[in-house]
Amino acid sequence: MRHSVVGFAIGALLIPSMLAGQERRGSWQRSEPATEVPVTVFHSTQSANLPTAETLAKGEILFEISHRFSPSISEGADALWGLDGPVVNRLGLSYAVSDRAMVGLLRSNLADNLDLQVKLRVWEADAGSGAYMLGMVGGIAINPELTDVSAFDGESLQYYAQAILNVAPVPGLALGLVPGVIHNVNPGSGDPESALSVGLTGQLYLSQHVSVLGEWNFSEDNGIDLAHDAGAFGVELETGGHFFKLLISNSVRLNPAQHMGGTPFSFDPDEWRLGFNVTRLLSF
Amino acid sequence: MRLRALALLGGALLSTVAQAGAQEYHVDREADNRVTFVSRAAIEEFEGVTDRIDGYVLLGQERLSAGSVRSETEFYFEVDLASLDTGISLRNRHMRDNYLEVAEFPYAALDGSIATVSETAEGFRIEAIGRMAIHGVEQVVSVPCEVTEEGSGYRARCALQVLLSDYDIEIPRVMFLKLANEIQLRLDFHLKPAPAG
Repeated sequence: MRHSVVGFAIGALLIPSMLAGQERRGSWQRSEPATEVPVTVFHSTQSANLPTAETLAKGEILFEISHRFSPSISEGADALWGLDGPVVNRLGLSYAVSDRAMVGLLRSNLADNLDLQVKLRVWEADAGSGAYMLGMVGGIAINPELTDVSAFDGESLQYYAQAILNVAPVPGLALGLVPGVIHNVNPGSGDPESALSVGLTGQLYLSQHVSVLGEWNFSEDNGIDLAHDAGAFGVELETGGHFFKLLISNSVRLNPAQHMGGTPFSFDPDEWRLGFNVTRLLSF
Repeated sequence: MRLRALALLGGALLSTVAQAGAQEYHVDREADNRVTFVSRAAIEEFEGVTDRIDGYVLLGQERLSAGSVRSETEFYFEVDLASLDTGISLRNRHMRDNYLEVAEFPYAALDGSIATVSETAEGFRIEAIGRMAIHGVEQVVSVPCEVTEEGSGYRARCALQVLLSDYDIEIPRVMFLKLANEIQLRLDFHLKPAPAG
């Protein structure tokens, strides 16, 4: 034991001196390069409502609970700035079938909209001019509350597709362009029509865990209930497995087939509403 | 000072003499290697694992044997930090980008010499002394390892504790403290004789 302690002491004294400036004598050479760091543009799989091209790792599950408070902030203290509710709620569960593909089931209590969607991360690159990512989302939704007919009747059924281009022109800034098309934009109207939309989103990462975000979804005038574009802005906090988004928006229409069509409220501050998204990443 | 000079001289002489019978061993990349770090923070405990360890040991003799100071030995090991998997992709990204900054510092490296070798019932217990480099910062560390013979090679199981603060790795405390400053490192890897020539 004493022998070992003495040996250690001599080694501790000796080794750092010997190592300084010492050439390696072994023949070993690194045989392959370091693991490539995955491209990142947006950290989260969605902005406030618009999708990003980011996907989960294979086998991961994303649980989401989101609220948009129906009363506007302008209703003041009497309605606790909207927090008294009622709220539009969304629960979501997504599963990554591969590192590039995830399937999600999203249910909003607004019209009981139930949405089954698939998202693909198609391509990404980290070039000298920035990081790029391309993705696409397609989904089908039903609205059982809106019609007396079957949920899968043409008056209830909606389907949509969105392309996603994400760019990080400089580290810490992410921008997104999300053009999309939706069929039966106003379910229950008796006249299923298709409509186009173009979403813009941006996020500025202020620190390791805090960012600010904003988004705007240009939509056609799809009738009196969907006369305005939907916008949102807020702050995002991220931890090892969570994203918390605290938001202000003129839309309470949470699911993609609802959000793409527009909102009945203008973006006037009197129509702003509070909301949040909370997601938890799980891996079993 | 005299002792240090004497030891240096002795080490250099031993090194020269031992070259003739020196045997080099490389990490067997095909074997079931595993490097694990364990973080036990206030509200969350998690592990990060990778099999991407590489490097070599140059023994001053053909085979490992009990003795006191093996200053003629030399080793270098490196762990590919971008390959660490904590089980959650978001946490992996935080580890890569926020804490370890692997784009700038892709490897954790340990190089040094074997200080002592003693025999145990299963094989050998060695005490290695070297420099651990993480996040661009080097610290002198002592690493105890259990080594067992495995055919013509060896299996080494080492454990040590590192403080992230020693390596200038900042852990934000404004939100949830999910990464501990004190990290347990476990290395379990296999060595095979270096290819001839």
